[in-house]
Amino acid sequence: MTQNQSREEQMRQYMRSTHRLGRLVSMVTLVMLLGAPFLIGAYLGAMPDLGAVARGFVSVGLVWTVSSVVEFLVYTPMLGAGGSYLAFITGNLINMKIPCAINAKDMVGAKSGTTENEIISTLSIATSSLVTIAVLALGVALLTPLRPVLQSETLAPAFANVVPALFGAMGYKYYRQNLRLAAVPLITMAILFIFAPGLTGSTSMMIIPSGALAISLAWMEYRRHAKEGRV
Amino acid sequence: MSVLERLSSGTMYLICGAIIAFVAAVCVVFLIRAWRMGKAIGMDTKKMKQAVTASATFSVLPSIGILLGVIALSGSLGVPWPWLRLSVIGALHYETQVAAAAAEQVGLSELSGSLMTPKAFTTIALLMSLCIMWGMILSTLFNSKYLNRLRGKSANTPAENRKKGGFGDVAMSAMFVGMVSAYIGSYIGDFVSGHGRFTFAGSWTPLAVAAVSAAAMGLFTWLAEKKNMRWLDSFSIAGSMLIGMLAAVLIGK
Repeated sequence: MTQNQSREEQMRQYMRSTHRLGRLVSMVTLVMLLGAPFLIGAYLGAMPDLGAVARGFVSVGLVWTVSSVVEFLVYTPMLGAGGSYLAFITGNLINMKIPCAINAKDMVGAKSGTTENEIISTLSIATSSLVTIAVLALGVALLTPLRPVLQSETLAPAFANVVPALFGAMGYKYYRQNLRLAAVPLITMAILFIFAPGLTGSTSMMIIPSGALAISLAWMEYRRHAKEGRV
Repeated sequence: MSVLERLSSGTMYLICGAIIAFVAAVCVVFLIRAWRMGKAIGMDTKKMKQAVTASATFSVLPSIGILLGVIALSGSLGVPWPWLRLSVIGALHYETQVAAAAAEQVGLSELSGSLMTPKAFTTIALLMSLCIMWGMILSTLFNSKYLNRLRGKSANTPAENRKKGGFGDVAMSAMFVGMVSAYIGSYIGDFVSGHGRFTFAGSWTPLAVAAVSAAAMGLFTWLAEKKNMRWLDSFSIAGSMLIGMLAAVLIGK
């Protein structure tokens, strides 16, 4: 067996065990998260009102269910197997995990769908999740002295604008790579939001048409380059 | 002991802390497995270290933002439950919205610590878990099959396409461009028409913050590429965000 075959076999085994482990820990986390309210209910002496839960799910849960399906379909290929299991367990995808993994992938020059990206994405999401867990644990431990600082009026605008700061920095990185590709979805989205400002409350859903437009343009450019023999 | 005090009791910390500890352990296991596998297949450890360092620095500021979400919810749900929710599976933009909607369903006029009852809390907590768990369920059931289908071959053999990402890589970058465009477009739309179409009376702070952050990123990139300060790469996103957030403070004054 050549060295390459041996590495491929190792990677196959790694992927199989990643899926097994990912499924197992997702199921355990799920059971714990759904079980916790009942455990807390036993402690407080009041179980959840299942009728209210059902009504609440119909009123707000269905929207989030659709959103979850979209997130699964869009982000799983970006993150690979290990990264996506972890990301769906730890959450905060749009505002942290996705940009974080994309940044790490770009930094090391890994390509989507490759072995290297699978490893880098998993390292990135795991690190990011551990940092969040550590920051929150520290923040909770130091809540009393930290609360006035973090909730000060002076710092409030800074923390209200974490996402714009993140997308500004990431936007520069991506837009400079292909300004023409970036301009069309940006202008289209800006026009859409200007004429239908109510959509700003559904920005996470608007990622789909915006992404589809960008992918279509990228596909046309890719085909043109392929014909010219540049890819 | 009031309901809110019970919601921040040692027992609550124990229940929520145990789940967070489990998830942290899962992250460590995945991290170690990926690191070992990367080394085994001959990946450059410098690159892997760079990915870890960049991801750690990248995550600090958004994590502080998420901590604010914990503080915001602690007034009505105690500290441990929001701590759990935002450490595991939760999303900053989701938790407050669902908690408020759930409070309405259990008959509370608002999400408030003074109105909270044990039954209302457990109901809200279950609804918060139930609404956002679908990504994890889909991942459990279909992750392998979905990736298989996308690759058009077994997901267990990604090594066949190791060096070239093909259009898949281009598509993922384009998807991200679409994602950023949706957000920046929403800031433009909010500024121009947020308080009435073409009134230009909406908030321009997010737009200015994004612009300052992008300019800072441009500077960091220039320093890294032209002045050979490559070490800046790992900190450029975090640094740009910090400068952008500082601009928000200055604008807010």
